[in-house]
Amino acid sequence: MGIHLLYIEDDAEIGNWVHEDLIGRGYEVTWLQSGEHALEKAAGSRLVILDVMLPGLDGFTVGQRIKKAYPDLPILMLSARTSIDDKLEGLQFADDYLTKPFHPDELAARIEVLLRRSGSFSSEPLVLKHLLVYERENRIVNKETDEEILLTGKQFQIFTYLVRHLGQILTKEQIYEGVWGDPYLDGDKTLMVHIRYLREKLERDPASPEIIETIRGVGYRVKA
Amino acid sequence: MREGKRPKSRFRGTLLSRYLLIIVVALLFIPVVFPVSLIGYQLVQGVVLGNLVPKPEERNDPYRTNNLESMWHREAQKLKGKTPDQIDAKMNELHAAYPKVDMFWVDAKSRVRQPGTSRLDLPPTWEAADAVAYLKRYKENTSQQFSVIAFIGDDKKLSQGFMVMQVARSELNTGGYEMSAQTSMIFFGIIMLMFLLFIAVSWMFFVNMRRRLLRLQSAMTVQHDSGLPEPIIIKKADEIGQLEYAFNGMVYQLGSSLKREREEEELRKRLIANLSHDLRTPLTVVRSHVFSLQKEQLSDKGRELLKLTETKLGDLSGLIDNLLSYNLLTSGKYTLHPESTDVLRIVRESAAAWYPLWEKEGFEADIELPENPLFWTLDAQWFRRILDNLFQNVVRHAHSGRYIGIHAERDAAGKYAIVISDKGKGMQSASGDKGAGIGLAIVGFLTREMGLAMDISSTGGGTSVLIYPASGSEPGLKLKERV
Repeated sequence: MGIHLLYIEDDAEIGNWVHEDLIGRGYEVTWLQSGEHALEKAAGSRLVILDVMLPGLDGFTVGQRIKKAYPDLPILMLSARTSIDDKLEGLQFADDYLTKPFHPDELAARIEVLLRRSGSFSSEPLVLKHLLVYERENRIVNKETDEEILLTGKQFQIFTYLVRHLGQILTKEQIYEGVWGDPYLDGDKTLMVHIRYLREKLERDPASPEIIETIRGVGYRVKA
Repeated sequence: MREGKRPKSRFRGTLLSRYLLIIVVALLFIPVVFPVSLIGYQLVQGVVLGNLVPKPEERNDPYRTNNLESMWHREAQKLKGKTPDQIDAKMNELHAAYPKVDMFWVDAKSRVRQPGTSRLDLPPTWEAADAVAYLKRYKENTSQQFSVIAFIGDDKKLSQGFMVMQVARSELNTGGYEMSAQTSMIFFGIIMLMFLLFIAVSWMFFVNMRRRLLRLQSAMTVQHDSGLPEPIIIKKADEIGQLEYAFNGMVYQLGSSLKREREEEELRKRLIANLSHDLRTPLTVVRSHVFSLQKEQLSDKGRELLKLTETKLGDLSGLIDNLLSYNLLTSGKYTLHPESTDVLRIVRESAAAWYPLWEKEGFEADIELPENPLFWTLDAQWFRRILDNLFQNVVRHAHSGRYIGIHAERDAAGKYAIVISDKGKGMQSASGDKGAGIGLAIVGFLTREMGLAMDISSTGGGTSVLIYPASGSEPGLKLKERV
């Protein structure tokens, strides 16, 4: 049984296309053409894709109601509007934001990131090069040696944080603040030390890392 | 919504009429105030002083001319048939009673007889010549001397002779002027009072006028929540009242035009939002069909055309984005929230978001930023928008260079600038992708608003954009051309 998504879009053509595309990617999709019954349908869903321009109740109102009823349910806003105030208004409750016209691959990628971030892992292990990551069981296994890799608390937290933002580049500040919960202090080497130890445990060759990529001048990334 | 009817300007009740009234009163002051103060004095004396100071009994005052004259005739009448000795005795008695009055009498035989205490120097007999001389002297001195002559016994004939009394006028009526000093004090006091009253009325008139003008001034300068002054409550229909009315009219007019302006702005925003939606929705549909087509079996030519269509769709979408953003930005509806922010952190985060696209498009991303934070005063949201536009321009218009450089450069003074460079064909070349203009206009507008300066240098070998905090009146957008 696939992951259930709630999709609210009034335009029939776009709706049809996105609906089919998402089903093609293995999701179960409930498509509503107005926000009226959104709250009831949101109950069994893992993620809501919401269009801003809706007849009757607008997307912002629907989104706010859903967020109030289900605070942990991620909401991805689709909008034809790009003005800054829309972005701010939308992002106050929405977890992500995508403007039309969008590429279906981009939508799929964002859905995946949001689901991962909200903890909706599939039972299948995540394959990262020579590693198998069992997110539900917090287990990492080296496929080649079949050995489990044991990480310290902080190492595990850093790795999980990167995996939850799979494919995204994260800056040092973002990782530090996401894991430690404190503001990043300039020139703090703690994170770099942790990442060095983490690489020694995870990488085949810590000198040329494949799992945790360094994006020069920007930050780190874990890519599937 | 007008408050009340326009007050009619009649002459009565205008400031001018009131001021004229004060002036007229001032002019009439002298001729009116003296009689008034006299009457006032009489009233004051009659009512107030009359009860405090015992008023000299005018009728009983022995030294009043009337009293003296009637007394003299009365006494003469009483002496009818009296012997000359008896008359002498009476004269002595009278002289004792009226010591200031000189008196003598002439008997039937024309002999002059005086009281023993008399100060007069008279001839022993009273001839006709004496009478004439006395009368002549009396006439000359009538203003200084008061004389009464009475026939004794009130005979029409000179059977018993006549008696004369004389007194210096200065001795008479002295009682009537005893209070002159007090009188002048009161008189002066009343005049002073009137003067003070006049000054007080004038003072009040101008103080009141000034207060109302100040009230009007403060009403004009104080702003309320609406950003407009509050209307004034009009109390009088004079010139200031008219001014207040005109002021209120202006406030109402301003309010209604502000409301109209807001409505128009709201309409414009809605129109733009709707336009955006109406343009993008079909664009999304067209794009969806292009994606679907790409999955079909196509010839190489068909695939190439489809790729081109997709690129153009992306450009069109970007153009709509920028056009609408620029419209909204320049309408001044966005407020800046500048604060000291680590600009490098924002650049890194923004680059992180764009990196996958650069990777996909085969760009070499050359990013080198210092470890230490660089604090600029800016609005993070807006600065991201600037970077988004610049990065987007690189992807769209400098695609051929397949390079993006993000650096922090230091000038001789040690000031940092963020430099975003590409190796495209430059802005002057026809890249085939028009539309960088509006994106740059947005960037220019935003940098200027945040007090940043931007230099763009573009050659055939690439373009680089420098962003740095503007010092003084540095223009926000400069386009340098290197040959």
